[in-house]
Amino acid sequence: MSQITQKKLLRKLLLRQKSNNRLWVSLLALCVGTTLLLLSVMVWWNFKEILSGKGSNDSLGSTFLTIGKAVTNESMAKKGATFFTAKEIDALKGAPEVQDVGMLTSNRFPVWATLNTNIAFATEMFLEAAPDNFIDKQPVNWSWEPGDAQVPIILSSDFLNLYNYGFALSQGLPQLSPQTIQLLAFNLKIGRDPYTETYNAHIVGFSDRINSVLVPQSFIDYGNTRFAGGQVIAPSRLILKVKDPSDAAFVRFLEERDYTTNSEQLKWSKLRSVVDAITSATGLLAILIMGIGTLVFILFIELTIAKAQQSLSLLLQLGYSPGYLSRFMFRRFLPLVALTQGVAAGLAMYAQYIAGEKVKEMNLALPTVPGWPVWTALLLSTVILLAFVSSGIYRAMHQQK
Amino acid sequence: MQLGIEHVVPIPLKDKINEYNSWIWNQDIVINPGEKVFIQAPSGTGKTTLMHLLYGLRNDYEGKIHWSAYNMTAIRPEQLSQLRASYLSIIFQDMRLFPELTAWENLEVKRRLTNTITEHEAEKWMERLGIGHKRDSLARTLSYGEQQRVAIIRALLQPFEWLLMDEPFSHLDHANIKKAVALIREVTETNNAGLILADLEDNDFFNYTRKLLL
Repeated sequence: MSQITQKKLLRKLLLRQKSNNRLWVSLLALCVGTTLLLLSVMVWWNFKEILSGKGSNDSLGSTFLTIGKAVTNESMAKKGATFFTAKEIDALKGAPEVQDVGMLTSNRFPVWATLNTNIAFATEMFLEAAPDNFIDKQPVNWSWEPGDAQVPIILSSDFLNLYNYGFALSQGLPQLSPQTIQLLAFNLKIGRDPYTETYNAHIVGFSDRINSVLVPQSFIDYGNTRFAGGQVIAPSRLILKVKDPSDAAFVRFLEERDYTTNSEQLKWSKLRSVVDAITSATGLLAILIMGIGTLVFILFIELTIAKAQQSLSLLLQLGYSPGYLSRFMFRRFLPLVALTQGVAAGLAMYAQYIAGEKVKEMNLALPTVPGWPVWTALLLSTVILLAFVSSGIYRAMHQQK
Repeated sequence: MQLGIEHVVPIPLKDKINEYNSWIWNQDIVINPGEKVFIQAPSGTGKTTLMHLLYGLRNDYEGKIHWSAYNMTAIRPEQLSQLRASYLSIIFQDMRLFPELTAWENLEVKRRLTNTITEHEAEKWMERLGIGHKRDSLARTLSYGEQQRVAIIRALLQPFEWLLMDEPFSHLDHANIKKAVALIREVTETNNAGLILADLEDNDFFNYTRKLLL
């Protein structure tokens, strides 16, 4: 004869629901609510990751900004009006979101570039140097010492674009790939006649971050000392490492002081507020749906207990403890909660994976698994849900005699 | 376990009780472990009420009831279930079986709570009381007599120091009462337990140590 376990008997007595429609509806609502909640946290977190992310997201210009003082009609008349004073640099170091400030040093001596090919080409140009830790992709041979004949140069990728899509097309010149450009060697003639020096220069890399022609700091320092008497000249452009360039306080700081920057880089601040609004609206909706789901779920539990009321009080009369019966009920509903939370977590992981793949096509990087805020939201919602379930069971159980 | 009943008056019976001399209501009584007590109670004197008070099913009374250290007026739900599972067993007047379970399942619900009696023993007891063939019948299809015998066996499937019986044989004929009394005596002795039986008419089913009039 088959053995009847105690659990089986209790199930027979306490959980004989014919129609489970209410249960499925409430579980669905719970699942949708949790998924929405996780997704809104995820969108918020992903956006934050892209804005304040490291490494490969730099091409967005989101973490490094070059700033200068706006040239106005008044400042045009005053020499040195666009230079940054030491006080102003200190103020910038303490500005909201700013993590580091670097000075761009420019050349105080004439520079001529000539191409030593059969195309006769010569142009006057400018050079700048930035502290090494502000250069995004530092090439291996990025160094120069007095006596070196070779000078490495990092060119702004914008300049290459200007040449390829503007200049080359209109002048009937060949378009050049970054690889080809790096093969080109040209001469740099620095100083005033008759005291000039000539170096071999070649482009070793492109920067998305700094809109300039960069040479190693030591080269600029050498030239400035030799040809311009080495007097220290205040910088007119600064490079800032900024945690979140869309931060409203930071944007206000720049505006108040009339500092100019690539305004494109600040467009994120508007987008950011839109995303914030959308995610918080979705989050609220998610909490609302979850709330309704939880409510229906708890009503279902209370209904189950109410339907089993007679059996329940007889079990108590036979010596079953309320704690034991509560735990039995809780264990019955626990897998259902785990199921909804698990499905929601699965959907969130899938969404994050898809998002990670999608932004890869845009040359941005996002993790392919959800980050800690998503897991925290999941954990928190599960704990709250379980607290509601167990208190619902406890209440219903202690109404019995 | 000693039973103390101190000046207990059920609130719904308050006025009625003052009209006559009850040996129990509003009296100070101590019943010692292992005693066999018969309570004769003409209808309407609160026999079932008394049994329910002793078993902790209701609280609407004045006075105090305690089973040794367990004070029934202030007992916590978990303590009460412990008391019912291991010290105090009851045969309800209205049987109180689960109608949707079979006779055997009704016994198993109780037996598996403490596992003090083996399955085999429980089956033997069913045979002894003549309901072995009703093992797999749903409780709601059993006659009152059969239900009463299931309820009697169920009360014996746990360890107990006291067995409370509220008109336990009301639906049984003499032959079946004899069998049931023999079984109850046997199990009570094994448990070294006392018993309290309440009924309408006087009887000598057990060797009562005292008889009280409600």
